[in-house]
Parts: sequence; C-alpha cells; structure tokens
Amino acid sequence: MLQYLIILLDDTSTSYCHYSPSQSQHQLIALADLKAGIRFAMKENLMIQYVYPACDLPQEYKETIETIDHSKIIPSNSPMVEEADVVVFNNWKDAVGFSFDESATYVLRICKEDLFAQKEVIGTFISKVARLNIVLIDVETFTENDFSRYKSVLDSFGKETEKLYKAGMSPQLNVITDRIALSQMNNCNAGSNNITLAPDGRFYICPAFYYSAEDKETFCVGDLQSGLAIKAAKLYKLAYAPLCRICDAYQCKRCVWINRKMTFDITTPSHEQCVLAHLERNTSRRVLESVRKEKEFYPEQDIKEIDYLDPFDVRIDWHKI
Amino acid sequence: MRKTITFIVTKDCQLACKYCYLIGKNNKERMSWDVAKQAIDYILSHEDDFQDEGIIWDFIGGEPFLEIDLIDKICDYLKEQMFTRNHHWFNDYMFSFTTNGLNYQSEKLQKYIAKNIDHLSITITIDGTERKHDLNRIYKGSGKGSYKDVVKNIPLWLKQFPTVGTKITISREDIPYIKESVMHVYGLGITDVHINCVFEDVFKDGDDLLFEEQVEALADEIIDNGYYKDHVCSFFDESIGKPLDPVKRNNNWCGAGRMLSIDAAGNFYPCTRFAQYSLRDKKAWIIGNVNDGIDRNKLRPFLLLDRCTQSPQKCIDCEVASGCAWCQGENYDAAEIPTLYQRATAICKMHKAQVRANNYYWNKLYRKLELEGLREEFEENRPVSNQEIC
Repeated sequence: MLQYLIILLDDTSTSYCHYSPSQSQHQLIALADLKAGIRFAMKENLMIQYVYPACDLPQEYKETIETIDHSKIIPSNSPMVEEADVVVFNNWKDAVGFSFDESATYVLRICKEDLFAQKEVIGTFISKVARLNIVLIDVETFTENDFSRYKSVLDSFGKETEKLYKAGMSPQLNVITDRIALSQMNNCNAGSNNITLAPDGRFYICPAFYYSAEDKETFCVGDLQSGLAIKAAKLYKLAYAPLCRICDAYQCKRCVWINRKMTFDITTPSHEQCVLAHLERNTSRRVLESVRKEKEFYPEQDIKEIDYLDPFDVRIDWHKI
Repeated sequence: MRKTITFIVTKDCQLACKYCYLIGKNNKERMSWDVAKQAIDYILSHEDDFQDEGIIWDFIGGEPFLEIDLIDKICDYLKEQMFTRNHHWFNDYMFSFTTNGLNYQSEKLQKYIAKNIDHLSITITIDGTERKHDLNRIYKGSGKGSYKDVVKNIPLWLKQFPTVGTKITISREDIPYIKESVMHVYGLGITDVHINCVFEDVFKDGDDLLFEEQVEALADEIIDNGYYKDHVCSFFDESIGKPLDPVKRNNNWCGAGRMLSIDAAGNFYPCTRFAQYSLRDKKAWIIGNVNDGIDRNKLRPFLLLDRCTQSPQKCIDCEVASGCAWCQGENYDAAEIPTLYQRATAICKMHKAQVRANNYYWNKLYRKLELEGLREEFEENRPVSNQEIC
C-alpha cells in the first residue's frame, strides 16, 4: 500500500540514496505541479517527503510546501539545512566539523574507498546524532576483497555501537542497529510503499529511475493529469522477490534500481547487495550477543547464526528437485 | 543432464517463415571463426562453471547450415579440444541442429554428417501438408512455398536418422490443417511429432474451438488407424491437464539461464530468445561475452524462477495447469516492464482446448484397449518421444 510521496523539488535535488542525480542545471518543479502533487497526496493519504536542492527556494514554494504535513530531506550545503528532518552529506568531509543536531537524522552518502579510509572519523558521528544512515554509492563495484574491508568497517562501527548500548544509550546506525530492532523486512519498497513525483510533473518508481537515461520512460508510472499507473505493480512487493522473501537481512534496502542495474530484473538482487546486507546482519548479530552478556537487550530478538553470505547460494534449485 | 550451448552462426535464412520469432534476421551477422574459437576456449577453460554431465553443442540461425564450413571447423575444434583438455564432456557430447532442410543433400553437409554421425541430432522442420507448410514457410523475396524443396530430402534424412522427430508450429492460420498435417508427417515416415501453438498473442476468440475440433479429429484418426501403437504426437500426453500443487510442482517450465547462446558479436545470452534479433519490444538480455566471461548477476533472475512467482493467480489456481507451457523469452518480450516475472498467458484458451481434446483421446483410447483386452500390452510398449524440448 502506498504511504509516501517523495517530491523532488528540483532537478538538482540531492540524492539521499544510492543513485547520483544526472542533472546539473536547476529546474524547479512547476509551482502548479507542486500544488497538484500536494493535492494528490492529500487525496491518497500519502505522507510527503520533500527532497531539496542545495540552493534556496522561492518564497511561494516555501509557503506551498508548508500546506501539508511533511518531512524535509535537505543537503548539508543548503541554506535551508536548519529546517531539515533529514540532512544529507554527499561527502564525508562535509560532515567533519558540522554542527550536528542530536535529535536529527543524517544520511552519509559515501563511496567504498572513502568509507574504508575514514571509518575512524565516521565512527565518531554515531554518538553525535539521533540516527546515521550510511549509504554506499558504488555497491556494484564491490569485490571479494572489498567485502572483507567492509566487514572490518562494520566491526569497527559495531564496537562503537556496542559501547554506546552498554552505556545505556540508543544509537541508531542503519547498517547495524536496524537489524537488531527489526522482526520483519523493512526495505525501501519503492513502487509499493512510496512513489516519486519528479520536477517534470510525472511519477516514477523512485528518483533513481528519473535520472536514468536508459530506464526513465520504462519506469515512469503516470503523471499528475492521468494519475498513477504502476505497470506490473505486484512485482515491487516483497512476495514477488524470490530471494528477498526468504531472507532475514531485514535491514536491507532491497533497492529495485540496483536490482535493475545489476541483474536486469527489479525482483532480483545482485550478489554484491546480498553479501553487503549479510555482513551487516552478521555484525548486528555479534553486537546483540555481546551486549546481552552485560544486560537484557532485545530479549525477543533472535538473529540466527548462518553459514552463507548470499542466500542465492542456498536457494531452492527446482532444477535439481 | 546435458547442458545446451548454442552458436548463433548466422542470422540469415533462405526462408521468411511468417511465424518465425526471429524478427531481426539479416545476412550481415555471421559468426567469425575467431569469435567461435574464443567462445569455445572460454567455455572449455571454465570447466568448473559448466559441470553438467554432458553437452549438446547446438547450432542455430537463421538457417545454420548456410554456415556449414564454419560449423565443420567448430566441431572439429571442439572434438580436439575436449579430448586434449581431457574435458568430461568428451564422454557425452552431441551436435544438434534444427534446419529448414533445404541444403540437406549438399555435398558439404553430407560429408559433415558422415564424419559426425554418431554424435549428431538433426531435425528438419516440415510443417505438414504442402498447403499447410507453404502457408508459412515461404522463401524470402519470392514468397514461394518451400515444401517441395524440403520434402524431397526427407527420405535421406530418415535413412540417416530413423528415430528422429520433427516439430510442427501452429499459428492462427494453421489451425484448420492440424489433423491433415500430423497425418501427412506420419505418412512421410516420421513417427515422432512435437507440435505446439506459438506463444505470441495471435489467437482470436473462437480459435480455441476450431483448434479443439482439429485436435479431436486428429485423436480419432490416430486411434482409429492404430497410429497410437508406434507414433507419438505431443498433443496427447496423459500428464497434461491436471492441477499443479503450488509447493511441490513449482518448477519453471523452460531452461533459459541454464543454457548459453553465443552470437556473431561474441555476446552471451541465457537463451537465443533473449538475443536482440528475436525480441520485439525489449532490449537484448546480454549476460557476458567471449572476452569478459559471464556476469553471474545477470543469470540470477533466471535461476530463481519458479512457476508460481511469475504466474498470475488464474494460472496458480488453474485446474488444468499441467502441460501449459511458456517461453521465458516471450514472457520477457510481452511483459509490461523488463522482467522475467510476468508470465504471458496468450495461449490460455488454446491450452484448455488441447486439454479437452487430450482427455477425449485418452478416454477413447483406453476404452477401446480395454474392450479389446490390450491395455496392459499398450502400457508396456507405449511409444515415447525422442525429442529434447527446451
């Protein structure tokens, strides 16, 4: 069931996820489309998430934005960053020296090399914010060696979160603490739980498809005039993802855009996505076990020990049955 | 199990069959020896990735035998390499062809057949009677039917491959000629007929009833004239038309993703149906190439396919689901988005019509055999198909 409408306010709106916007020229969504999008959300009972560019917005846009309950995703270099519900860092350097708000959520978009090199610096952010989401922007490039390095990063973050938990705090780091708290899949769910309105006045499965030269038209799912028309809508649901529906890496984004990019099919994750998600899951398990040695900690949670990192390797092979 | 690896040696063909799914045929994309050799070297040097017990080296076009010189060279190289590498496939390999049969008696082809006869499977496509065959299987350019040029080669083919079968494809225009076509093919001495409707969305209201009438008439003909004793027609199979358990009978229909196709550019595909020349509306599903090898991520959606996930609810609930086929390539081509997980159901009514005629066939045959006291004998000696279908 759709619950969220993501509105990209400008072609240069920040990414808050794996994709990188391909547009460098400012092109605001038409004010009429913004208003129509808000009306659409009201009628469909959708919560709006506005995604901001780095520049300021005209006053009439600011006023229109406030006509509905919403949340704001704003890049750290925007003059409006203080209004943000979610602040996005597109570079780890932007976060260094940033005046963090302890009650805010932060997204750090980062490439693997920077993450591997700066894990100590990034680890210090965890205790300073209400929530930190680390988003890798080059998942498709991970090699077996990178997986080992990622595990090492997670171990480091795991120690930090473990320390905070033991000190009675409630850290939130998406790649570790989410799985500890979750008892079922909590994925991005683009196309089934949320949909995106782009500056061109059309709906897309998610912002990444809007910026995809190859897939933009295929994954455009309607416009403000004719409404939403999600083709093959059920395929965006977990039940139709043959691997993910049997998986317990509940914190995984299950990104349909990366699926499309790497396996050609929105239903199917790549090896890289699965391994990364399982390294995170396993780190969560270790943290859970460790904290439990000192105090009661998520007593209902049970993250089982498993001997694989890619559920594809333990799939049902009908061919052999 | 044998793996099937297909060389798309040419996209050219002398014919322009009206129902051919290879819509992008042309005379420019011919495989070079360099590409073929690179493909073979890649495959044979990755034995761990290809652990199937045996191998079917398949050749397709267009018309594959237009490239008989290349094919001969490929097969010689394959034999030599499988032997010198001590590859496990040397113990179990076949060369397989589906041909229009026009060049069958050529000296080069006959020489090739003589050289490889113990490891060969050749299927000549003959669509039935002259009028049925020539309705679709016409020459490129002239539009002339090809029946006469094919049928003259059948005796030699059957002499060389006495147990082979043929494939008959049913498009909308062919429906009135089903009975006469199967009987005609039997009359030519071919005892094994694989016949199926095209998977594309071509059938109209009422076609199913006409189809049922034809298949029922065919059932009468086969039973009344005793062909059931030693002839096979894939329309009649006792396993067809039963409900399928969503858990125990959840396997995918076709082998796409477990096969490999290579085209003239050296690209790898999960099946020939995913090459650009056979797709109407979608982009080719390229899973690698002879230089970089196979991108296993691109195979994952294929290897995860099961029946229920890709089927609409009406297929999952269907009381006569067994035997209802699908082509993964056609599913992909017809899907609303680029996915393997949206099953096309254009043949639904045709399948149900086939089920009714199939039920009629077995009820009639078994009653006859029981009255004659011959059922047990039939059960012990029933003919089976030799054809491998994807």
